[in-house]
Amino acid sequence: MRLPSLFFVFACAVALPFGASAADRFDLPKGPGRDLVYGYCQTCHDLQSVEDSAGIPHGAWNAVLDNMKGFGLRVSDEQRAKILDYLGTWLGPNPPAPESADATVASANADGAAVFENTCIACHQEGGKGKPGEFPPLAGNHDLFLSADFPAYVVLNGIEGKLQVNGEAFDNAMPPFDFLSDEEIAAVIAYVRSSWGNAANRPDGMKDIGASDVHDLRAKTMESAEVLALRQSLLP
Amino acid sequence: MTKPWIAPQLSRRDFGKLVGAAGLAFGVSPAALRAAFAADAVDSAQIISGKASGMLIHNAKLAVMETPLKMLREHDHTPKEILFNRFHYPHEGDAAWYATTSAPPEDIVKNWTIRFDGLVQRPRTLTIADLQARPQEKRVSVLQCAGNGRSYYAAKQKVAGGQWQNGGLGNVEWEGVPLRPLLDDLKMEPSPEAHWLTAEGWDQPATPEGSDFAKSYHLADPALDNAILALKMNGEPIPAQNGGPVRLIIPGYYGNMNVKLLTTLLFAAAESPSAFQSVGYRMPLVPVEPGQFEANDYTVYNSVPTYGHKIKSVIFSPLPDDGAKAGDAEITGVAFNDGEAAITMVEVSADGGKTWQEAEIKPAESPWAWYHWSAKAKLASGSNVLMCRATDALGRTQPMDGLTRWNPRGYEWNGVDRVEITV
Repeated sequence: MRLPSLFFVFACAVALPFGASAADRFDLPKGPGRDLVYGYCQTCHDLQSVEDSAGIPHGAWNAVLDNMKGFGLRVSDEQRAKILDYLGTWLGPNPPAPESADATVASANADGAAVFENTCIACHQEGGKGKPGEFPPLAGNHDLFLSADFPAYVVLNGIEGKLQVNGEAFDNAMPPFDFLSDEEIAAVIAYVRSSWGNAANRPDGMKDIGASDVHDLRAKTMESAEVLALRQSLLP
Repeated sequence: MTKPWIAPQLSRRDFGKLVGAAGLAFGVSPAALRAAFAADAVDSAQIISGKASGMLIHNAKLAVMETPLKMLREHDHTPKEILFNRFHYPHEGDAAWYATTSAPPEDIVKNWTIRFDGLVQRPRTLTIADLQARPQEKRVSVLQCAGNGRSYYAAKQKVAGGQWQNGGLGNVEWEGVPLRPLLDDLKMEPSPEAHWLTAEGWDQPATPEGSDFAKSYHLADPALDNAILALKMNGEPIPAQNGGPVRLIIPGYYGNMNVKLLTTLLFAAAESPSAFQSVGYRMPLVPVEPGQFEANDYTVYNSVPTYGHKIKSVIFSPLPDDGAKAGDAEITGVAFNDGEAAITMVEVSADGGKTWQEAEIKPAESPWAWYHWSAKAKLASGSNVLMCRATDALGRTQPMDGLTRWNPRGYEWNGVDRVEITV
């Protein structure tokens, strides 16, 4: 087991304030597409920027998204359209009443594939193939089976720092996706573990965790650098 | 994080480590920070080590914050502890770039280089030591975010972005190497085609698809006559959060034009295609209406960069929660412009603009520094709307209705300041 250097830990600790889970402090109105905003927009800034802009018209949100492209935002046209629909509607000049919101995909029967499509695909790409040098692949990623609950720690808390996946080095930061429901997290992990040939890597007897396990893990809040340390400790 | 598209001068991670370590040296315990950030509200002192408590936060993750006027008015030179902050790019993993008011660490300063290049016969590279060896000059100047006052545009149509009030400004003493003599001495022999100077900083967008931050100035711009490559702010090395170890300072120009973490100066035939020069931080050349001109409709033909400060005045006291009493009162504040002409008049009203009187103006420390002014007034019981308006020797003055300058990016607010106080 190799622990990250002290310097690294310190630098991250000082930096962590900026990585603090914004979902705790910013609660955007429920509506279709909200998860995409949570998933994409917190990579660079917290959601105060979104909340403080609430009330601007659709056209202005459209321009904001173009503007964010200049800052490095990458989304597919389809995802961009969904994000714009959400912002222009729920954070536009005349948002619908909250109770009429057709809630998000959260349900007892969360669809792991849908969660992946809406949230994870932005970085981990179609087929979980990742993006070289930036976002690790999920296809063939042995981290999925480091322990029964390791992937849930990553989803809940994010992970940050240098790591290698299938011999390729990455040094990036994944934000927490703790705004996903317990059911969604359990479902998406099960989905990823059973997709793209990953099932073959599953150690004998390792079961998927359920929503109630995710619920329990939520209580053990970790910093994203600590998740990296946990990963190191689990590596064979 | 390692970004292959970043010139390998210093990895941002390395810098973060060093500055982070410096932050620790100043007694910030990571555990304390962690605890603090688990809380709902985020305080400026916890976002940036050494920063004062109680700044107005616009984005905690990017450490964007402004100075409440109650704090701003306490100092003639705005200390780094309370000066506003605005960074453009995320620094996940090495947010310590702006996480401390301490000076950049020695290693960083020692290895820092500034490349002078572009349409020149002889490109040059200088170090901080090279700059330190040259004669240094001081420039006291207001530093103001182009978005300062953006929130006031909402009275017409809210504009996206941080809802800045009036505290995105400070009066700062810079010190460094005058730009033009330096460029001359370097004998780079620019091409006759070079009409622009483009400055770039070390910070980079989150992904290669993003646009690098760059600013361009016409080489004939007289404002460059006063520009310096600043190494000090208020007598100390410039913290990275404010652009250290070296920042291009063009006195009287809006904050974004003063490129932080300066690494590159390019002689160029045209202004930079960077989105931050060609689309962002610009003002339309003619009045525009909400819905008819959007934030990305700017071109180099229909707009102009946010160069010099538009003349502006701000009421410092009394503020609404100062507990002012009815009767005799003194209204005070500051005024400033781009430094091209002296501020010659500040008019003050204590009755919502029905009657006006001239304030007494104290001489400013430099053409670009703020002027203090004060006026005596009588406050009536109940509501009093205080207003102020500055005019300079060129006759330039503030619009009574700042909304006439509404623009979709919400820059350059300089409408007559209005403060309603109830006594």
